[in-house]
Amino acid sequence: MWDEQFEKLLRDHLPFLEADEELSGDLNLREFGLDSLGVVDLLVSLEEMYGVHFINDDLTMETFAAPSVLWATLCRLINSTT
Amino acid sequence: MTTSIASAKPSELALVFPGMGPSGYAELARFMMVSPRARQLREAADSVLDYPLMDKYRSAGEGYSEFSQVAFLITCFALAEWAQEELGIEPDLCSGASFGEKVAIAYAGSLTFSDTVRLTVQLSRCEEAYFRLEYRDVVTQSVARTPEQSLMEILADMADRGEWHDISCFVDDDFFMVSMREQNLERFNGEVRAAGGIPLHAMRPPMHSSVFSALRQRVADNVLTDFRFADPRLPIVADQDGAVVNTAAGVQSLLLNSIVQPVNWPDTLRSMRQRGVTKICVAGPDALFGRVRCATSDFDVVTVNQRMALRPKRPLKYAERKPS
Repeated sequence: MWDEQFEKLLRDHLPFLEADEELSGDLNLREFGLDSLGVVDLLVSLEEMYGVHFINDDLTMETFAAPSVLWATLCRLINSTT
Repeated sequence: MTTSIASAKPSELALVFPGMGPSGYAELARFMMVSPRARQLREAADSVLDYPLMDKYRSAGEGYSEFSQVAFLITCFALAEWAQEELGIEPDLCSGASFGEKVAIAYAGSLTFSDTVRLTVQLSRCEEAYFRLEYRDVVTQSVARTPEQSLMEILADMADRGEWHDISCFVDDDFFMVSMREQNLERFNGEVRAAGGIPLHAMRPPMHSSVFSALRQRVADNVLTDFRFADPRLPIVADQDGAVVNTAAGVQSLLLNSIVQPVNWPDTLRSMRQRGVTKICVAGPDALFGRVRCATSDFDVVTVNQRMALRPKRPLKYAERKPS
């Protein structure tokens, strides 16, 4: 499961997800308001927050399709930099 | 920057219409059914179309069909009128990015709304017929977070391989739309990712490229001749280079140039800034042009969208607000 700052950051980018709604791992992020510019903004914020750098195959819209995919990618990047 | 339209003097304010993004059917359809002004505009559109718009739009769904385009036109125009009536905005300039040009032309009174509906449909059909036979393998790919120098190196390499490309839209300092043959897309996107950029969407048919000069001629000969343009009541800032359009002939050139010249949004905004604009009101479902850095870093931006216009509680009129 992801950490609190990831959950908060992600929720900040999902205008159609109510505060009391669960952020499930398979949530369709696009349907809950994560559009193209939202992806770019979220990407930059994640890089700053976790000190990682998304590159190559991580930079696809599929990476930002669901919380579980995004968190798995992020964990891999964190582990590869430590 | 934060939005504070109430403190804007009219001369500081420009009204901007966004380009068309992927809008879901439900999003625009609800607005066109619930908003009284949008309903009136829909009825006006129905009276010049040979079909009921909502039926066709429902069948077509998402995409860039002529039905979606008319729905987008209605939505943006209704929101501009709502902003005028409810927020009391009185812009001295207007502009539209890509498709938004058509809405700006209607808002500025160079064409009536009904004629703009007809124009939108005729242009859409003309483009569809053209791209059914020409440049069928060309797409326009948007890429973000891509430094311009990196992009130029990638494109220079593509040119060295004898492969054609054209930049169709300069959205921001690191955000571009590039037209190319589809066979080059995978390699291009890989190179963009390797440079730290992120490829977003590929648009079909493509748009805004010098190679579409035959389409430009076809539109000039077969579409624009069917319309009588008036001088705009409100100056229109061209989204290709920021030039100010004041005449009927200039409006026609704007439409034609849009086919063969790239949108240059940073230059458009720079031109507005040079003319004293400090606040821009974006009227329409905007996913891009009012949100990119070159807009938000230099202007107070307020976006007037369907959710705002359908809210039961109406804000005070501009004239009723006290300066903060």
